[in-house]
Amino acid sequence: MRHQLVALFFVFFVSAGLLISTVTVGQVSSTTEAAYMPPRTPEGQPDLQGIWSNAVLTPLERPDQFADQAFLTEEEAVAYEAQRNDETFRGTRDLDAATDVAYAYNDFWWDQGSTIASTRRTSLVIDPPDGRIPPLTAEGEKRRNARDEYRRLHPADGPEDRLLRERCIVWSGGGDLGAGPPMLPSAYNNNFQLVQTADHILILKEMIHETRVIPLDGRPHLPGSVRQWLGNSRGHWEGDTLVVETRNFTHKTHFQSTSEHMRLTERFTRLADDVLMYEFTVEDPVMLTRPWTAQIPTMKLDGLIYEYACHEANRGMVGLLGGARAEERAAREAANE
Amino acid sequence: MRILLIVLSAHIMFFTSIQLRAHHSFVAEFDPTQPIQLRGILTEVELINPHSWFHIDVTGPDGLVVSWAVEAGTPNTLFRKGITRDTLPVGVEILVDGYRAKDGTNTASGRDITFPDGREVYLEGSAPPAQDATSIP
Amino acid sequence: MRSRLRYFIVVLMATAFLSSCSELAPPADELSPSIPRTATGEPSLDGIWQALTEANWDVRPHAAGPALLPELGTFSAIRPGLGIVEGGEIPYQAWAAEKQQENFANRLELDPEGKCFLPGVPRATYMPYPLQILQTSQYVMVAYQFANAVRTIHMEDPGPSPSESWMGWSVGRWEGDTLVVDVSSHNDQTWFDRAGNFHSDALHVVERYTLMSPDHLLYEATIDDPNVFTESWNISLPLYRRVEENVELMEFKCVEFVEEKLYGHLRKDPSDDVEVNVVGVDPD
Repeated sequence: MRHQLVALFFVFFVSAGLLISTVTVGQVSSTTEAAYMPPRTPEGQPDLQGIWSNAVLTPLERPDQFADQAFLTEEEAVAYEAQRNDETFRGTRDLDAATDVAYAYNDFWWDQGSTIASTRRTSLVIDPPDGRIPPLTAEGEKRRNARDEYRRLHPADGPEDRLLRERCIVWSGGGDLGAGPPMLPSAYNNNFQLVQTADHILILKEMIHETRVIPLDGRPHLPGSVRQWLGNSRGHWEGDTLVVETRNFTHKTHFQSTSEHMRLTERFTRLADDVLMYEFTVEDPVMLTRPWTAQIPTMKLDGLIYEYACHEANRGMVGLLGGARAEERAAREAANE
Repeated sequence: MRILLIVLSAHIMFFTSIQLRAHHSFVAEFDPTQPIQLRGILTEVELINPHSWFHIDVTGPDGLVVSWAVEAGTPNTLFRKGITRDTLPVGVEILVDGYRAKDGTNTASGRDITFPDGREVYLEGSAPPAQDATSIP
Repeated sequence: MRSRLRYFIVVLMATAFLSSCSELAPPADELSPSIPRTATGEPSLDGIWQALTEANWDVRPHAAGPALLPELGTFSAIRPGLGIVEGGEIPYQAWAAEKQQENFANRLELDPEGKCFLPGVPRATYMPYPLQILQTSQYVMVAYQFANAVRTIHMEDPGPSPSESWMGWSVGRWEGDTLVVDVSSHNDQTWFDRAGNFHSDALHVVERYTLMSPDHLLYEATIDDPNVFTESWNISLPLYRRVEENVELMEFKCVEFVEEKLYGHLRKDPSDDVEVNVVGVDPD
C-alpha cells in the first residue's frame, strides 16, 4: 500500500514538472497559467466585443540592435519603456528644420500608448523568426522601385500622387507602406470597436471610420473581378478564435509593398477581460518571397471611439497642392529674372 | 552598456518611425525656411478632423488685425483628455510657434500652442518658447 | 335520428371552420407574421435595409426634372416623389426659405453628397444605398454603404458629446417595440436632400424604428431646429429588407471619384486628361 502511494506521488510530481516545463517563455497571456474562459454572447460565441487599442510602442520590425533577440527581459523592457516615454517634442528641439516641420505638432497631440507589447517582444513581426518583413520578389522590387521613382519625379502633380492617408481614402500608419486592413498602430486614435451578432462581426476602426461588416455564415468571397479598398472579408470561428480571411484587394493599397494578390488572415482571441490578441498573416506569392505574421496584444480602451471624418475637411490637400504650385511659380519667376 | 545600447537604438528607431505617422506630410505643406511665431487672440477653434484649426487675430504695430489659421492635431486626442468644445479658451491671448504655409496664405502649423507665460494651452507645466522664430507684426 | 345528428355535427364543424376562417383575416391594425426577436425580447432590426423613396432628390412632394448637366440626359435626372414630409411642407423661417432656394440654384457646387461628404442624419437613411444594422444590448450599429459612413447608437448613456460631428451623437432606448434614437450635436454642413433643404448646428432629430413585418421597417423622425424652422416637422418612410441570398454591403468609398471636382484646379497641369481612379476592376 505504501509503495503504491509513493509511486502515485512520484507520478504526480513528475507529471506536474513536465506540465510546468511546457509553459515557455513569452507565453502570450497577461493572466496566470489557468486558461482564460472568455464570456459568451447570447448566441454562445466567445465575446470579443469592446473598444480596443493597439497603441503599443513596440516597432513593427525588430531593430538591428536586437538582431537575435526576440524578447526583452523584464529589466530591459522597463528601461526601454521609460526611455520612450521620456521623449517629448516640447520645448527646443535639436533637429533640422525639415524634420521639425515633419513632426508637425508637439507631444500633446500624439497618442501612441505608453507601454510596449505585453509580450515584451522586440517587434510586432513574429514570423519570420528574425522579426523582419521578408524580402520582396524580383517582381516586387520592380514594382516598388517604379512607384518610388514615380513619386520622386511627381511628388504633387495632383491628388493621385499623394499617399492614401493624405487623400483620406484609407488610413496608413507607415508612410506608403501601410494601408489597412490589417490594423497597425499609428500616431494617434489607435482604436477599433468590435460588435458581434449571431452571423456578423462589425469592426469599426477609428481612423477614417473604416467599417467592415464580416459575415460568419460560410458564404464564398465576392468574385475576383470585384476589388475593394478594404478587400472582401469572411469570418469563421476556430475554437475560441475568430478567423477573418480577406482578399480582393486593389492594386493601389500596396500594404507593405504587397499587390492586388495579397491575402490577409486575421485572428482575434480574447486572452483576458482587457486583452484581445490580434494576429495577422500577410501572403502575396507575387510580391513577397514568403508570408509573414505579426502579433499585437490589444488592450481594452477606457473610452469611446469618436468620429474621424477626414475627407470632409482635408484642407491639408489644398495646402499641399497649392504649396507645390506656389513653389513652381517661384522657381519660374526666379528663372525669368 | 546593454541598456545604453537599447536606449540609443530605441531613440533612433523612435524618431525614424514617428516621421511616417502624421496624417500627411507637413513638409509638403509648410516651409522649413519660414519658422514663425504668432501672438494673438484665439477667436475660434474648429474641433474637426483630420486636423483641428485654431484661428487667431494678430494685431500688427500699424493696428491692422490679420487673421491666421493654425493647423493642429486630431481633436479626438483632446476628447480623451476630457477637453471639449465647452472648455476652450476662446477670447484669450495665445502664442503659436510653427512654420508658415508654402502657398502664401495666412496659415501656419501649430508646433506649440501656448499661453504667453509658456503653459501649454489646456495643460499645466512649462514649455519654453521656441527659438530662432520670426515674429510677425 | 342518426342523420339529424350527422347533420348537426356537419353544421357544427362548418361553423367552427368558418369562425376560424375569420381569424385568418386579422383586423387591420394587427401585425402580419411575427417579427424576429432577440433573446431578450426586443424586435431584432439586424439586417440590410434600403429605402425605395425618392426623398434623396427632395424630401417634399415634387415633380420630375432634368439632370444638372445637359450632356447627362436622363442620367441623374430628378425622379418624381410623393415626399416623406408629413403635411408636405417644411416650416422654414422666412430667411431660411430664401436660403433653400439659393442652395437649390447652386446645388451642383454646394450639395455635400456630390463631394462624397458624410451624409448626416436623417439623410443617410433614405439615400438610394443600402445600410446594415447590427443590434446588441449595448450598441446598435448602423453601417451605410455611402462613403463607408457609420453610426454608433449608444444604448447605455455615453455622457455628453464633446463636439459636433457629421453623423451626430446618437443615444437609443426601447419604447415597447420601437427603437427611439435621440440624435444631437450635428454640424451644420449636411443637407436633407439634393434640393438644398438644410439645417443649422442646432438640429435635433428623434428617430423611431419600428419593425412592421419581418421584411419592412418603418422609419419616422421628428426634426427640430429653432434657428431655421418655425416649428418641428416629421418625416416617415418604409425601409425594405434586401432579401437576396448572400447580400452584403459592397464598398462605396467615393473620395477618388470627387478629387477632380475638389482639387482639379490645383493640378500641375489642369488640362491633364486624368482618368478617375477606379479600383473596382481586376487589373489582371
